Amino acid sequence: MENLLEIKNLHARIGDKEILKGVNLVIRPGEVHAIMGRNGSGKSTLSAVLAGNSNYTVTQGSVTYLGQDLLKMSPEERSWAGIFLGFQYPVEIPGVTNVNFMKTAVNEHRKQKNLPPLSAAEYLKMMREKMAYVEMDPSFSSRGVNVGFSGGEKKRNEIFQMAMLSPKLAILDETDSGLDVDALRIVANGVNRLKTPENAFVVITHYQRLLDYIVPDVVHVLYKGRIVKTAGKELAAEVEAHGYEEFE
Amino acid sequence: MEGFRYIPKKQLFDCSVSLDGARKFFVWDGHPEGLPFEERPLLDCSAEFCVSTRVGKISYSPAEISASGKATVIIPKEGEITQVISVRVSPAPLSERTVIDCPSEGKFNVVLCSHTVGQDRFSTNGIVEIRVNKGASLDLVVMQNENSLSRHESDYRIRLEENSSLSLNIVTLHAGNVTNKIHTLIAGKKASCNLNGLYLADGQQIVDTDVVLVHDAEETQSRQLFKGILDGNSKSKFDGEVVVSPSAQKTEAYQANNNLLISDQAKASSDPHLVIYADDVKCSHGSAAGSVGDQELFYMRSRGISEKEARILQQQAFAGTVLEKVAHPELRERLSRLVEKRLRGEDTLCAGCSKRCC
Repeated sequence: MENLLEIKNLHARIGDKEILKGVNLVIRPGEVHAIMGRNGSGKSTLSAVLAGNSNYTVTQGSVTYLGQDLLKMSPEERSWAGIFLGFQYPVEIPGVTNVNFMKTAVNEHRKQKNLPPLSAAEYLKMMREKMAYVEMDPSFSSRGVNVGFSGGEKKRNEIFQMAMLSPKLAILDETDSGLDVDALRIVANGVNRLKTPENAFVVITHYQRLLDYIVPDVVHVLYKGRIVKTAGKELAAEVEAHGYEEFE
Repeated sequence: MEGFRYIPKKQLFDCSVSLDGARKFFVWDGHPEGLPFEERPLLDCSAEFCVSTRVGKISYSPAEISASGKATVIIPKEGEITQVISVRVSPAPLSERTVIDCPSEGKFNVVLCSHTVGQDRFSTNGIVEIRVNKGASLDLVVMQNENSLSRHESDYRIRLEENSSLSLNIVTLHAGNVTNKIHTLIAGKKASCNLNGLYLADGQQIVDTDVVLVHDAEETQSRQLFKGILDGNSKSKFDGEVVVSPSAQKTEAYQANNNLLISDQAKASSDPHLVIYADDVKCSHGSAAGSVGDQELFYMRSRGISEKEARILQQQAFAGTVLEKVAHPELRERLSRLVEKRLRGEDTLCAGCSKRCC
């Protein structure tokens, strides 16, 4: 099967600080990967680089997504090609309503596929359906994007956006942080509903907790900018029990 | 050859704002149409409206008398929206005067729109006297949509009595050279006043705002938020003065002016200041100019929103914090749509208007 994503010897820095020091990773359709690691190990940097955040500079290595050079694509081109980043800290955009935000995004995606924009009614129907995935109250649609949302609501909003855009590769950056058990279950259910044999997920997390709900096929440990161990889902439990000391 | 056809003014200009409970009145070059406005002699305005408070001294002088000596007097009714649509059609300079007189204890909604039809160099001087009597509250929206050659100076003279409140939102959608002078006297105890403005300018357009707001009674509040989005060679000037008189203890006054400069040539100058003679007050003021957040931009782009669309959304967001002060949901929605069109460069100009705008 064709690889969805292939990362080779990826090095990246922010300012003068090198954070990724040679990451290698292959993701195939239908897979769920978990990336675990301590704060500062490079987890968020990896997700930011994949989404095209210009604050980070790639100094070495390559990333191939569906046969294309991902690093040459703009953030919006990556999104159109099917990459989605669930932010660890979703950004608040006062004044832009959730409904306007996602309608613009969905229609930009449609434009790339030469499809006409959705009518208001079609959009509303789609939005209601996807909001139900994450048990989100419809009243959120008229509020400013993430403005005044609780931590859990912001994360649900990320999963809602993912559902609206049906990505081929979704990277969830610490989606579990700041969630209570109920919110965690809702978010995980949302992800599980969206899983198909064609798409893949990268779940970035500190803890095993989320992986009880979203069961990974492969678990990686990221340590000081490199993947130091890769194994099956049992690795998550191992890390949870013994911490990251063995990798030091 | 086709003969000359008479086209009634109403067909030249079409206003399709159909707000629930709204009553629409047209004023053609200063002449009100229909019955609800009475032309009546000037109210005696001496010493009632504050005109200037420069150099730290509070003084009031009588209101100027408009050229005609007559005014369009609006006495709004509770439970309806009074929408007054002023349309300029003839190129002769015009001085007009409007009085909005809100009876005590009532809650009122008034919308004033100004438009131009055709490409003449319209020149308009308007005085708008606003009296919010004891216990009354007025929600006033002003929408300015005129051609690029027009010059319009509006002089708002506002007086608030005890326990009254005013929310004034001025949206300058399009105009050649606009000056909005907003002189407000908070004369009665516990009165409160929100003054907000949003101005959009491009090309050679100029928008000036001159606020003088005097707190002259105890426990009064004022909040001001003026924002501009400037493109091309446009210019804006904001001059804001808040005066708290010695008797106005427990005053709260906030003033902000922020400008978003889209082009390198656009200029915004801002001079907010406070003059405080009382000691038990909470006041703040500030201004900022700049472009907006990279984080927001990246977040939007990561969802597949192109940079251009993302910037328009950001500008809408910037404008949105003023527009959200418009209490009437449908009106707010319509204004937002007009602002979006304007930001996209889709014409909102009223020249030869047969379009449906506000």
